[in-house]
Amino acid sequence: MGLAVLPPDFEEEVVHPVSRKYDDYQDDSDTSMDDANGRPSKRFRLSQPAASQIVLPGETITDDTQWMRGHGTYMTDSSTTIIATLAGILKTTNKLLSVAPLRARYTPEIGDLVVGRIVEVQKNRWKVDVAAPLLAQLPLSSINLPGGVLRRRTTADELQMRNYFQEGDLVVAEVQQVGSSDNTASLHTRSLKYGKLRNGTFLAVSGTGGGGGVVRSRRQVFTINSGAQSGGDVDVILGVNGYIWLSKHVQQADDQGRMSGGVSISNLDDVVSTAIYSSQNDDIGEGTRREIARISECIKILAEDGVRVDEDTVIKAYEAAVDAEMSVADQAGTGTRVSEEVRRRIVDAAIH
Amino acid sequence: MPLDTISTYAQTLLRQDGRRWNELRRITASISTQPSSDGSSLLTMGNTMVLCTVTGPREGNRRGQRDNTNATVETEINVASFAQMDRRRRVRNDKRIQELQSTVSSAFQSHLFTHLYPRSTISISLHVLSLDGALLVACLNAASLALVDAGIPMPSILAAISSGSVTPTDDSSTRPEPILDLNNVEEQELPFLSIATVSGHPGSEDKVSVLTMESRCQIGGANSKLESMMATGVDGCKQVRRKMEDVIRKHGAKVLQGRK
Repeated sequence: MGLAVLPPDFEEEVVHPVSRKYDDYQDDSDTSMDDANGRPSKRFRLSQPAASQIVLPGETITDDTQWMRGHGTYMTDSSTTIIATLAGILKTTNKLLSVAPLRARYTPEIGDLVVGRIVEVQKNRWKVDVAAPLLAQLPLSSINLPGGVLRRRTTADELQMRNYFQEGDLVVAEVQQVGSSDNTASLHTRSLKYGKLRNGTFLAVSGTGGGGGVVRSRRQVFTINSGAQSGGDVDVILGVNGYIWLSKHVQQADDQGRMSGGVSISNLDDVVSTAIYSSQNDDIGEGTRREIARISECIKILAEDGVRVDEDTVIKAYEAAVDAEMSVADQAGTGTRVSEEVRRRIVDAAIH
Repeated sequence: MPLDTISTYAQTLLRQDGRRWNELRRITASISTQPSSDGSSLLTMGNTMVLCTVTGPREGNRRGQRDNTNATVETEINVASFAQMDRRRRVRNDKRIQELQSTVSSAFQSHLFTHLYPRSTISISLHVLSLDGALLVACLNAASLALVDAGIPMPSILAAISSGSVTPTDDSSTRPEPILDLNNVEEQELPFLSIATVSGHPGSEDKVSVLTMESRCQIGGANSKLESMMATGVDGCKQVRRKMEDVIRKHGAKVLQGRK
């Protein structure tokens, strides 16, 4: 990424801090927990920021004792004043005040689907880069052995660890545990959805933690049908940590699992073949490659413009990109770069 | 055009570049200048320009030296060979630069909430693109902005400024006068110090977190220079902090606007 030297802006357009009042908090805390359909939401709901106004580190949020301090705030022993420690949006959850930063590193949480890169092979575990403050670990006991055998891992397995994952390999995994003392993530790939990645391309945007980027959503893995563009289907894996994998859609693993009604211990060995640890790429058609590149470009544009990246926005952006190319291609010939016009359309489509 | 401050300051009360004693040079800054890093900033103070990128908190590359309870702050300062009037090649292990690096590291090591990221490393990389005095000050301010951009928790924004002292004549009876934010020519001529403060709790005063002085000056007696320099410096830090807060607010408003 090149260095952008911005010209100094001389207009004195100063954004003044707005004084907030928390004493007249009207929202009834009992009703705010209910979802729209009456079902209480599992994730705590955060109220929307009132204005386009951020708090700064060191700024006093409130000195009212009815509030509790959450992430991004601190309080000294001597006083009851809650002070922000991050630059970001103030959020209130019932009586909990927290600051969501504009931008920050990914912080692992249990159940997150992440894409990671193996950086180190140790005695009985791999160290995986998941864009978190510390490397995540993937123990040898948390992967499926080829052939689906279920047994204790022996020293013979430890010697063969590089047959499964080598340094530089990409994996998709789930966060199984988060260390209590230092927030190290422990991953597992004990499902057919997880494992080594191949037949595709890697893309990194900012992850969950603050700012635009990938958000936690219902579906992190989905398939985009690009049949109209003479390309095959493309699998999209949106790691919550901001690492994204776009690959050619693989038919068989998915279908076999579906035919036999999911994977259980009884049929695991049929399904898990040695092929899951293969690093050999299949043949990928030109159409598929082009669509993968197109989706990759769409996601980059979304991330650069601070739009959250999830299934909905990616699909909308992709459709907009396809439409835009249809209409622009006649006039402007074949440009390799996405023009400003197309870019604007992609972002507009994703937001609305 | 006068060539030094001492001979003319008493008559005009203006410095060589036309500023009064308590006027800062123009400070402009922008944050999130480099999307590939965790946090970045580009800060100019007059003709001094510093680019800062922050990486981390991330896994440290050195084994055995990790702190199991806190994050470690590392700093690397690189002064470009074209940064000053004469082109000069910097030696690799410049002791002055090393001292600056450790000053910046220790300032932020104690200031940031490093206990939230045990066993990790926060790397601050500073590139001085243009140097006209106030090297340490510009580095501290740029790093402070980049760390805010990186979303690393801190109790308040650290702001730094340099201040010096002018004794108009050699007559020892005249009182020395403090001046704020020295440029390179003034730094070579006058005694000066670099001071950084963090804002205290509401109602209490700012706290000094960095204070370095490399020149000789009188600290006691009736004509003590140090006290006035420090008082000016602490006041200057407040001005700088306000400017930095404006930069972050403006950036935040822009980000939030784009997000809707």
